[in-house]
Amino acid sequence: MNDAPALLDARDVTVRFGGLVALDGVSLGVPEGAIVGLIGPNGAGKTTMFGVLSGLVRPRTGTVHLAGHDVTGASPQRRARLGLARTFQRLELFEELTVREHLVVAYRVGRRHPAVRLALDLVGLGSRPLPGEDDTIDGILELLGLTRIAPVPAATVPLGTGRLVEIARALATRPRVLLLDEPSSGLDANETAALAGVLATLRRERGISLVLVEHNVEMVLGLADIVTVLDFGRPIAHGTPGQVRTDPAVQAAYLGTTS
Amino acid sequence: MTTYIVTGLVVGSVYAIATLGLVLTYASTRIFNFAHGMLAFFLGVTFYELVVDHGWDERAAGLVTVFVVAPLLGVFLWAVLFRSLADTPPSVRLVSTIGLFVAVPALTKVIYGHEQRDFERPSVVFSPPHQYRWLDVPIDSDQVAILSAAIVVAILMTVVIRFTPFGLAVRATVDAPRMAGIVGFNTALVNAGAWVIGMMLAGVAGVLLGTYRGFNEVQFTFLVLGSFAAVVIARMHSLPLAFGGSLLLGLAQELSKSRQVQDALYDVIDRDSSWSVVVNNFPACIPFVVMIVFLLAYRGLGRERFSVDTRAAAEPELHATDERHLPLWRRLLPIAVLLTGVLLAPVYLSGLWQSIVAKGLALAIIFLSITIVTGEGGMISLAQITFAGVAAAITADFATNKGMDVLLAIPLAALIVVPIGMVAALPSLRLGDLYLGLATLAFALLVQYTYFNVPSVRNFDDGVRVPRPQGFGEDTPFFYLLAALFVVVALVVRNIKRSTTGLNLSAMRTSETATATLGISIVWSKLAAFAISAFVAGIGGGLYATYGRVADPDQYNVLIGVVWLAVVVTWGVRSIAGALLAGLAFAVFPQLVAEHLTGDGWQELPTILFGLGAIGLARDPQGVVHQVVYGHRDRRRKREARRRARQVEAVAAT
Repeated sequence: MNDAPALLDARDVTVRFGGLVALDGVSLGVPEGAIVGLIGPNGAGKTTMFGVLSGLVRPRTGTVHLAGHDVTGASPQRRARLGLARTFQRLELFEELTVREHLVVAYRVGRRHPAVRLALDLVGLGSRPLPGEDDTIDGILELLGLTRIAPVPAATVPLGTGRLVEIARALATRPRVLLLDEPSSGLDANETAALAGVLATLRRERGISLVLVEHNVEMVLGLADIVTVLDFGRPIAHGTPGQVRTDPAVQAAYLGTTS
Repeated sequence: MTTYIVTGLVVGSVYAIATLGLVLTYASTRIFNFAHGMLAFFLGVTFYELVVDHGWDERAAGLVTVFVVAPLLGVFLWAVLFRSLADTPPSVRLVSTIGLFVAVPALTKVIYGHEQRDFERPSVVFSPPHQYRWLDVPIDSDQVAILSAAIVVAILMTVVIRFTPFGLAVRATVDAPRMAGIVGFNTALVNAGAWVIGMMLAGVAGVLLGTYRGFNEVQFTFLVLGSFAAVVIARMHSLPLAFGGSLLLGLAQELSKSRQVQDALYDVIDRDSSWSVVVNNFPACIPFVVMIVFLLAYRGLGRERFSVDTRAAAEPELHATDERHLPLWRRLLPIAVLLTGVLLAPVYLSGLWQSIVAKGLALAIIFLSITIVTGEGGMISLAQITFAGVAAAITADFATNKGMDVLLAIPLAALIVVPIGMVAALPSLRLGDLYLGLATLAFALLVQYTYFNVPSVRNFDDGVRVPRPQGFGEDTPFFYLLAALFVVVALVVRNIKRSTTGLNLSAMRTSETATATLGISIVWSKLAAFAISAFVAGIGGGLYATYGRVADPDQYNVLIGVVWLAVVVTWGVRSIAGALLAGLAFAVFPQLVAEHLTGDGWQELPTILFGLGAIGLARDPQGVVHQVVYGHRDRRRKREARRRARQVEAVAAT
C-alpha cells in the first residue's frame, strides 16, 4: 500500500500462547509522521501486537523492523533507544515518583554513559538537571496540561490523569514512534476530545508517528490515516478510515452478524 | 562407593520429605517459609527432649511430635503469622519468614536449653540400630526407616494431591490463587491445612535427620540448604521435581565424600595448596553449584516458566519515606541532635562504651549496604555479610602480611569485593526476590565453607590480626574516626537515593516493564546497585575487623548475616537512620543484656527480639523509624480517609 519504507514495520507476525493463536500473520506498517489505528473487538490480539512491537512478546514467526533495523529479537531497551516508546493499558506508573520525576527518568535515558553517570551519582552531582532537561520537560508537561500536578506523587493521580502521565513519560524519551495502548479508556467525553487534540498536535508539531490501539472506534477513525482491523488474531480489514468504516467484514465483526 | 549411594539416598530422602513440605506450603499459600528447616530442627529437638529428658518411649515421642506437636505448631503459625502475611508484598513475606528463621533456633535454645545433642541418638525404630546387609551393602534400621518414610510420604502426597478435595483446592491455588478464592474454595481452610501438613513433614524430617545425623544446628543448616536447592530444581511448585531433586542433591553430596570423587578433585586442586579445603567442604558447595546450574538452565526456557509471584499487593513495597514533605527544621533536627551527641560522646560514655558504639557504627556502615541493595534496589541479598567478611580477610592479609597501611587496605579490599558481589547476583538477578535470596544465601555458604576455611584466612580459628589505623588505636579517636566514616558513606548513599540511578531504581521497583520500555537496562541497574552495595559492605567489613583488631571468619557467619537483615528491616530498610539505629542496636543491646541480665537463656534475647521484629514487619512494612517519624501523620491520613468514605456512603445512601 505504501511505497516509502515504513519507520516501524511488522510483517506476518504470528504469536501463540499454548494452543491459542493470539496473532496469525498480522502485518502493520507505520510510515514516518503517520497515525495508524489498530482496532478490533475484545480478544482480537491488539495488546499482544503491541507487545510484539515493543519487545515484550516474542513472535513465533514474522519480523519487526524499526528505523531500518531488524529488531525482531531485540530487547525493549534497544527498541527504546531506536526511538520507540509506549504507554500501557493497565497503568504502569512509578508509584513512588512524582509526575515530574517520571519525565526526568525518561529524559535521562541514554544521555550519559552509564559508568560516567554512576560516578557522578556517587559524588552527588547526579541530581542536577541536564542541559535542556528542564525546558523539554516543562514543554511536555504544559502540552499535556500536567504542569499543575508536576510535584504530586504519581500514586495519587486519578486514572485519566495517569494516562496523560504515561504519554508524557513516553514523550520525554523523544520517540519517533509512540505506541498508545487504549489511551482513552477511563476518560470521559471531554477528556477524550482533549486527548485527541493533543495527539493531533504531537504529529503535527513534533512529527511523531503514532500507533493507537483503541476501543473507541470513533476516535480512531477520526484521527488515523490508516486503520487495521483485527478479529481473533487475524487482520480482516486495512485501509483509510473511510474504507474501513464501510467494510462488510468489519461491520460483521463488530455487530456479530454473518456477512 | 555403594555405601555412599545408600547414605546419599537416605540423606536425599530426608531432604525430600522436608522439601515436599516447603513446596506444598509455598505453592498453596505463596509464602516461602524460609524457616522450614529451622522448624524441623525445633520439632526434632522436641522429640529428643521427650525421649532423653522425659524418658518417653521413642515411638510414642515420635508419634506425638509428628501428629500432635507439629500440627498444633502449623495451626499456631498460620493463625498468628502466615494468615496476616497473605496480602503483603512478596518481599515482606520473605523477610517475615527470615525473621522466623532467626527466632526459631534461639527460641529452641531458650525452651530446651543449650546442651549438645550429638551423643545420644534416640531412634524411632531400634536403638541401637539393627544392622542388615542387602545385596552385599550394609544398611541399618534407621536408614531403612528413612527410605521407607520417604516412599510412604511420596505416595500419601500423591494420593492427597490427586484424589482429595483438598488436593484439588491446592492444585487450583497453584494455578490461580485469586481465582481459587473467587470460585469458592475456602482458601483459609486450604491454607491452614497446607501449614499443618507442611509442619508434619517438617516434623518427620526433623526427627529422622536428628536420629540419623545428630540433633544439632549444623546438620539442619545442611537440610535448609539442600531443600532450598531442591526448591529451585522444582521451580517452587513441582512436587515430583522437588522429590527427585532432593534425592539427587543427597546423592551428589554423599558421593562427593567418596574416595573416587575426592581423588578426582585433588587432581584439579593441589592437595598441598591452601584451597584443598574446598575438597573437604565440597558437599557444602553442592547446593550452590546445583542452584546455579538449574537457574541458568531454566533461564534458557524463558522467564514465564518460573512461578514468579504476580499477586502484587496494592501498597508499595517497603515504602519510601519521602523526606521532602517534612518541614526543614524537622529534617535538620535529628541531624543536629545526632551531631551533638557524637561530639560530646567522650563526656558521657566510658572507653568501653565508646568502643561499643564504634562497633555499632562499623556495623551501620555494613547495614547501609543493605539499605542500597534491599531498600533502593528492592532486592533481597543474604550475602552482604559475606562481602564484608571477604573484605575483612583481604584487609587483614594486606595490612598484616603485606605491611600495607590499613586505611589503604580497606578501600582496596572493598574494590576487590565488587566483582565478587556481581558474580553472586548475576545468575538470579531477573528472577525475583525469592530466587535471588536463595542464590545469595547459597553463595554466602559457598564462600563460608571454602574461602573462610582456607588456613591462611582461618589462622587456627583465631583469624588474622588487623591493626587499627595509625593514631586511631585508642577508643576515643577510633570512635571519632568511625563516626566520620559513617557520615561519609551515609552521604554517598544519600547521593545515590537522589540521583538518576536512585530514580531509575525507584522506577524499577514499581514497574520493571515500564522501566525496560523506556530504554533503561534492568540488569545494569540492579548490577550497579549490587556493586555499590558490595563496596559499602566491604568498607564496613574492614572497619568492623579493625574494631576487634582481627578478621575472624566466624564473625561473618551467614546465619549472623540473616539476623543482620532482620535487624535492618526492622528499623527501616529505606532510610539511613534505620541502618544507623540497627547498627547501634546490634552492638549495644547484647552488651546491655550481658551486663544486666545474667542467667541462662537471656543471651538469646536480642536474637529473638530481632527475629520477632522482622516478623512484625508484616504489620508495618516500613520499619520502626518510619513508624516513629511518620506514624501520627499516617494515622491522621487514615482517619481522614475513613471519614471521607463514610461521607460518600452517606451521600450514596440518600
